[in-house]
Amino acid sequence: MVIPWVGFPLGDLVKRFKPNSRAKYVEFTTLMDPKQMPGQRYPVLDWPYVEGLRIDEAMHPLAILAVGLYGQALPNQNGAPLRLVVPWKYGFKSIKSIVRLRFTERLPATSWALAAPREYGFYANVNPEVDHPRWSQKRERRIGSGSLLSRQPTLPFNGYADEVARLYAGMDLARNF
Amino acid sequence: MHADRLARRIVKPFVFTLCLLPLAWLAAGLLGWPAASLGANPIEKIQDTLGIWGLRLLLVTLAITPLREMTGWAPVVAFRRLLGLFAFSYIAMHFLFYLLVDQGIDWRLLLEDIAKRPFITAGFAAFLLLVPLAATSTKRAMRRMGRRWQRLHRLVYPAAILGCTHFYWQVKADVREPLVYILVLAVLLGWRVHRHRRSRAADRPSAMPPSIRRPPAPVCQSSPSSSSHQPSEDASTGSPSSTMATNSGPSWRNAQL
Repeated sequence: MVIPWVGFPLGDLVKRFKPNSRAKYVEFTTLMDPKQMPGQRYPVLDWPYVEGLRIDEAMHPLAILAVGLYGQALPNQNGAPLRLVVPWKYGFKSIKSIVRLRFTERLPATSWALAAPREYGFYANVNPEVDHPRWSQKRERRIGSGSLLSRQPTLPFNGYADEVARLYAGMDLARNF
Repeated sequence: MHADRLARRIVKPFVFTLCLLPLAWLAAGLLGWPAASLGANPIEKIQDTLGIWGLRLLLVTLAITPLREMTGWAPVVAFRRLLGLFAFSYIAMHFLFYLLVDQGIDWRLLLEDIAKRPFITAGFAAFLLLVPLAATSTKRAMRRMGRRWQRLHRLVYPAAILGCTHFYWQVKADVREPLVYILVLAVLLGWRVHRHRRSRAADRPSAMPPSIRRPPAPVCQSSPSSSSHQPSEDASTGSPSSTMATNSGPSWRNAQL
C-alpha cells in the first residue's frame, strides 16, 4: 500500500538532542498501556515494543516521524500521536505511538529480533533476494493500486535503492537481514 | 424411524445451509455489503476464511463419532459425510485460491513454496490426503471397497494433524488461536485412542478381574470379529444394534470422512 504520510524528518528531531559520537543507534519505545492497547495484555512479544535504527539510517531524510496520513491526524490504530516511517524497510520497523527515544552505543534489543532472531533481523531492509524462512519475499501485491490479482516483483530497498543503498555499502545483506 | 427422518429431512438441510454460510458471507463481502467487508487486503481475508472454515469443519466431522457414542443419538452420523465433504470443499477452495489468485498460477513459485516452506508443505500434504477420501465418499465406493474403505478413511487423522500444524506454523507470534484447534484435535484423537484401548482390554476378559470389566459394549455385539481387528467406526456404534440394523443402509453407517 502506498500511503501519503504527513510528518517530518526524524533527523530534524535527532539533531535537536545533539547526540555525540558515541551515539551509534537510536532506540524507540512504544507506550505501554494495556488499558488502551488490549493487545499488550497477552505477552505475544516482550512489551512494550522496541525498535531501533542505526544513527545514519535515522539521519536519512527519508526516515520520517509521522503525525498524520491522507491529510488527517494519525488515528490511534495507526500509531498516534507519533510514529516512525522507514519506507525502505519492512513494516514492523515502523514503530507506533512512540514515547521514548534513546541514543545507544550498542545495537538495541528490538522486539521482533528478540522474539524470532532467525526470522527478523535488526536491519529488515526490503530485500527480494533474502527469503523469510517461512515465505518468499520476491513478489508483492500492491494493495489499493494495480490489479488486485497480480503480484509484482519486489524491488530492493522497496524501490529506494538509489537513495539508501549506500548506507549499506560493503555489508553482507543476506547475513545482516 | 421418527428421529432418523427428522435428522434426514430437517436437520440435514439445516446443517447443509449452515455450511454454506461462510461462503455466502465471502460472496456478500465481494459484492460490497459493508457488514461483510473483506477489509484492506481482501485476497488474504478470503484465503484465511476458506482455510479456517475447512479446518473447523474437519474438526466438527471428527467430532461426530464421539458425539454419537456419548449421546447415543445415532442419526447424527447422517451428517458426517456431508460435513466431511464440506470440509474438503473449503480446503480445496483454500488451495485453489492460493494457486490461482495468490500465486497467479506460477508453477515454479508454487513448487518452490511447497518444497521450501514447511507450513505450505504441511497444508498441501493435508489437502492431498483428503483427495482420495472425497473421491471415495459415494455409497458405491463404500460398498465396493468394504473394509479397505475404512482403512483408507483413517487418513483423515494425519490430514487433521497436518492441517493444525499448517495453521500453527503459519502464525507469526500469537499462537493462541492455533493452539485452540490443536487442543480440540487432541481431545478428538485422544478419545479415539482411549476407546481403542478400552475395547481391546474388553476383548481380553481374562486380563482383568470381572469387577472392573465394563458392561458388554455394543462394540462386541455388532462386531464379534473385532477381537482380531481394530474396532471399526461403525462396529462401535453406541446405539442399540437393532436400531442400526433396521434403519441404516450401509451408506451412512459407513460415511466416515
